Amino acid sequence: MKIFLVLLFLLASSASLYAQPGYIEVTAPGNRQLKMAVAPPHSVDVSPDSASSGIASAVIAFDMNLSGLVAAEIHPEQPAAKGFPLVAVDFVPWLSAGFDMLVRSEYSLKNGRLTIEFRLFDVINRKLITAKRYLGGAKDLRRISHSFADEILLALTGEKGPFTTRIAYVSTQTGNKEIYVMDWDGYNPLPLTKNGSINLNPAFSPDGREIIFTSYKRRNPDLYRRSLSNTAEVAVSRRKGLNITGKWSPDGSKIAVALSKDGDTEIYTLDKDGSHPTRLTINPALDLYPSWSPDGKQLAFVSDRLGKPQVFVMNADGSGVRRLTISGSYNVNPSWSPKGDRIAYSRMTGGDFSIFTITPDGSSDTQLTFDGSNENPSWSADGRFISFSSRRSSGGGVYVMRADGTGQTKVSQGKGKHSQPVWSAR
Amino acid sequence: MKKSMVLLLAGISMSALLTAGCANKEAVKKEEAVVPPVSVEKAVPVAPVEQAQPVEQTAPVQDAVASAVSPQEAMSPVAENRLETVYFDFDKSDLRQDTRDVLSKNAEVILKTLAGAKIQIEGHTDERGSAEYNLALGERRAKSAQQYLTTLGVKAENTSVISYGEEKPAVAGNDEGAWAKNRRAEFVVVK
Repeated sequence: MKIFLVLLFLLASSASLYAQPGYIEVTAPGNRQLKMAVAPPHSVDVSPDSASSGIASAVIAFDMNLSGLVAAEIHPEQPAAKGFPLVAVDFVPWLSAGFDMLVRSEYSLKNGRLTIEFRLFDVINRKLITAKRYLGGAKDLRRISHSFADEILLALTGEKGPFTTRIAYVSTQTGNKEIYVMDWDGYNPLPLTKNGSINLNPAFSPDGREIIFTSYKRRNPDLYRRSLSNTAEVAVSRRKGLNITGKWSPDGSKIAVALSKDGDTEIYTLDKDGSHPTRLTINPALDLYPSWSPDGKQLAFVSDRLGKPQVFVMNADGSGVRRLTISGSYNVNPSWSPKGDRIAYSRMTGGDFSIFTITPDGSSDTQLTFDGSNENPSWSADGRFISFSSRRSSGGGVYVMRADGTGQTKVSQGKGKHSQPVWSAR
Repeated sequence: MKKSMVLLLAGISMSALLTAGCANKEAVKKEEAVVPPVSVEKAVPVAPVEQAQPVEQTAPVQDAVASAVSPQEAMSPVAENRLETVYFDFDKSDLRQDTRDVLSKNAEVILKTLAGAKIQIEGHTDERGSAEYNLALGERRAKSAQQYLTTLGVKAENTSVISYGEEKPAVAGNDEGAWAKNRRAEFVVVK
């Protein structure tokens, strides 16, 4: 799984070809959407593996299209490329086909060892924008291709993409609710729990290597923790009653969780080993589903202290509670964006849920989904995307969309119902 | 000894589950009438070894019938058959009059025939609303029922609560008929 990333060493004279971050103004309103051609990789092997070739271009085109920054299209080299010249590309056919950017690549697959080099060109200005060479195993091809898509976003916007991150979710594929993890685009789904009980609400550690989740495997909804690479599960909180909706703090030192050990459901913070509970909410209502602000200083949460569940915000020590959502009679599932600028949540109207986002000061409340029932929003690490679970006529499962609600795409694969997605950090 | 009791009880519950499985889904709630009353005292004697055999044979069938429930979880709700399930209104945990009446009957059964038994009260919700909020709501329902039983003389230390939220519906379906049957508290004798 380890990928060796080697920066391509270019001639000193061509170093100036690298773009400055934010090189293309892609978000300005009224701009024509830029067109990107993704050429299938050129193989240097004697007997090329055409399947691998298709994967790399499909992954990059999918990532770039979902980003909304460019319209990407898989487009074979015309005429078929002979060799892989470092800079000397004939841009004329790409220009005349209407492309602004071009991704070319060259790969070699020998005895399971993969070497692949990607290059992103500015077709209009006829220059190289960025290039990377990767070494890995044949099975790493998807991940490597996502990694270059991350680099493309870095070159275009100044911030790396989230395409190598993963989404944990609950799947009923086996007949029981078990925790799974998949690539952001739904590939490589992997079961984490296999205990045949009920497993709920996974949440990633800030380094993305561990998850916490609630499981009934010992006949009480307890909070457990495990790494993605090891099957050992450690109990974090097995206190009497509910131990639910755990969320790691952004610095990884604490876990916010809803416990009912003292009567009704209240929000506490625990040390990450589950010790030293500190109670944050004190009232006779249900308080649950904490979501940390990215600076760790505040928590959004759900409370029915005014009758119906609404989203509230408080300081991380429990002080300064204020109501966030004013509209709608049933608002749940708050998720604070990694940039801190918005809080996503789901609102129930007439039995169905819709995803909304709102600013932390309660302004600019915006509905993002209008089809079916949509719950449990979770942000990508760069704040560009939101994952959520959906029931809709075109097919239920885990979806992703851009933060403005466009580009809604089902990503989870396989049997069963898929719900409670949560996106890993980088 | 405890284990063999569970096996014996499980054997009986098997037949109940099978009966329920053959009939339509409505039978789930009515199965109490079909199962002969089993009191804890009667089950205590060590079960003959042969008793264990039917359990093993029928185990796969049980999985098919109660697909969302692990075999371990399905085995225990056995001796609750004389304790009736109570029902709640949408998004509510307060006790309706019919709910209070049933709880009074349950308290009587507990005090007369289940003195000293440990009873777990399972709170459930219908599928509407958020799954996480429903876990808390289910617990609130179980605790309402627990408190009422306590006021009727059932010792608080003999009851415990667990919430399954919307995770273990009694009946499938997406209409008020199904939802009304799923907004409930069940009573399980755990030992």
